[in-house]
Amino acid sequence: MIDFHALFAALHLLGSSWQPWAVVIPGILIGLLVHAVPGLTTSMALAICLPLIPYMDFLQALIFMTAMYAGAVFGVAVPAILLNVPGSAAAVGTTFDGFPMAKSGKHNEALGLALAASCFGQAVVYSLLLILAGPIGRLALKLGPPEMLVLSLWGVTLIGTLSGRHLSRGLLAGAFGLLLGTVGLSARGVPRGTFGSDLLLDGIPLVPAIVGLFAAAELFNLAGRDYIVDDFTQRRVQAIRILAGMRDAFRHRGVMLRGALIGSGIGIIPGGHAIANLLSYSVAKRSAKDPEKFGTGDPRGIVAAESANSSSEGGSMATLLALGIPTGGATAVMLVAFSMQNITGGPSFMRDHGDIVYAVILSNLAQVGVLAIVGIAFTYIAGFVVKVRLRMLVPTILALAVIGSYALAHDIAGPITLAVFAIIGWIMHKFDYPVQAAVVGLLLGRGTEGALLRTYQMSGGHLGFLLTRPIAIIMFVLLLASILLPRLRSARSVQRKEGVLVK
Amino acid sequence: MLLNFPGRKVDVEIPHVAFATGIGGWAVWYCWDAWHANAAVENLILILPVSLIAIVLYVFVIAGSIKRANIPPEGSSLHQPVSRKTGVRIAGSMALLGAFVLTGPLIGFDVASFLYMLLTMAFLGERRILVLVIVPLMFSVIVIYSFGTLLSTPLPVLILRGQS
Repeated sequence: MIDFHALFAALHLLGSSWQPWAVVIPGILIGLLVHAVPGLTTSMALAICLPLIPYMDFLQALIFMTAMYAGAVFGVAVPAILLNVPGSAAAVGTTFDGFPMAKSGKHNEALGLALAASCFGQAVVYSLLLILAGPIGRLALKLGPPEMLVLSLWGVTLIGTLSGRHLSRGLLAGAFGLLLGTVGLSARGVPRGTFGSDLLLDGIPLVPAIVGLFAAAELFNLAGRDYIVDDFTQRRVQAIRILAGMRDAFRHRGVMLRGALIGSGIGIIPGGHAIANLLSYSVAKRSAKDPEKFGTGDPRGIVAAESANSSSEGGSMATLLALGIPTGGATAVMLVAFSMQNITGGPSFMRDHGDIVYAVILSNLAQVGVLAIVGIAFTYIAGFVVKVRLRMLVPTILALAVIGSYALAHDIAGPITLAVFAIIGWIMHKFDYPVQAAVVGLLLGRGTEGALLRTYQMSGGHLGFLLTRPIAIIMFVLLLASILLPRLRSARSVQRKEGVLVK
Repeated sequence: MLLNFPGRKVDVEIPHVAFATGIGGWAVWYCWDAWHANAAVENLILILPVSLIAIVLYVFVIAGSIKRANIPPEGSSLHQPVSRKTGVRIAGSMALLGAFVLTGPLIGFDVASFLYMLLTMAFLGERRILVLVIVPLMFSVIVIYSFGTLLSTPLPVLILRGQS
């Protein structure tokens, strides 16, 4: 499975010059800092740095971009934990237990848990990639529109059933999100749900909507308080507690490893990056003996979401390197960097530049260690957010989010979207609708519609076609099981309790 | 709100019912709008079934909300009333954010963000004049400079023109 000739050539490339290594720390720092600003995305940061690419050789450019990506993958966890603002869909699962931990004064430990899980996830996926780069690429080719469709629906229903106590509200939020995600021009070129406005022809601006939905519920609620952490004795920022959190992560090795494997598998699929953390969180919750603790500040929730989130980055890289297919915005920008260096991604890239592929994988393994050290310093500084009075913090974050959303959309559609979804998010939160379900639906709406349309075209309208797609059938069965099994289990447990009471 | 039905009284959470009806109503309108734009399968393949599912779920939500009204579940929103003071703070914060969003592109983000920061901080309880001036000023200059110069993202501005 490993091409040792290419591997030794990669070691020679990395060992013969300091230049490829010079970009690792700047790349990780940029990635970490980008997500400190709500509204800025990894792909935006990568795009901003594109003009630097022609000044680097190809390997250096690739290492720089993957370092930024690695930093950003962990960076999204910091505002997700401290402010309940995930910054990207990949950190949605981290907010479930991360923010409750921060509110109870365990922000140091929560950040440490996230950092350790993130580093662990990246180490696992790049180790796997070293061995399985080729087979992973071939597997990705087998997943077509029907599988993508089932995967998208799985993502939405999973999160709809997972969060909150009301199944119908969770699913309604997911359906609402899916519909919102299809607003704009359709495949037929007709506008839908735009209220006649040209600003919505490209659809609802995603990042402002996500920041609005998440930031709103919590930031508006926080406006009524003095500090994120009420008890001033709990507001200390201590590196030793961050390290304790990192150590604590390894008490949940099984959850972390499972999350890393889920992320590695899901990350190879386009859009999988957004779902991996939720899927891993859901599996961790369902397999726990005490699932009711999840969502209240359980370390296992952070570990499960973060290990999957970070490892899905490696999965995305596998698809990019092996197939030349970007699975998200960040890898799409990386593909642009390929073309700036006159290199075409895809199977031929793996064949012709095996040494570069292995060099990137090996440098990413080394980056894990660098991220752990830089990450401790970064989280230590970021942790001071809990000491800032909310009457300064809330308007600062909201103003940054509004300006960031304007910069992203280049018109007023961004800020308006943010404000409208801010209010919707607050109301949803108030009435116990899982905002996360609407966000995942919003993210996957357009892709789900495309996958459904292509499945329909491939099948010619015959349902029997689906019987020829065993992977899709298995995924669909798992989807149904993930909805029905917990309900059956809880119904059985109620019956058992009633039986005990009758006796 | 207590409603009298023949034989029994039920407690209905009107704001929640209104919100759910808003979602359900929007789903119906959106489906109709998409149908009206183009009734081809390609245009409705996802919207039609998901809208129908949303309507069915809406019915379940409303039914559940009324049924549960007699015995509200522990921790439900019925048990978490927002105090008047907090409600005013939240509504005021929303209104100030709305004003910032609408005025930013018109009067420039430098002036709008300064005013938004100043007014929101004062509204949320900051009384130190120096803090009320310096924090918004620093924020506006640093952010406009960062977006304009470092990130090469021009923003509409009134005063800090050289920086954006």
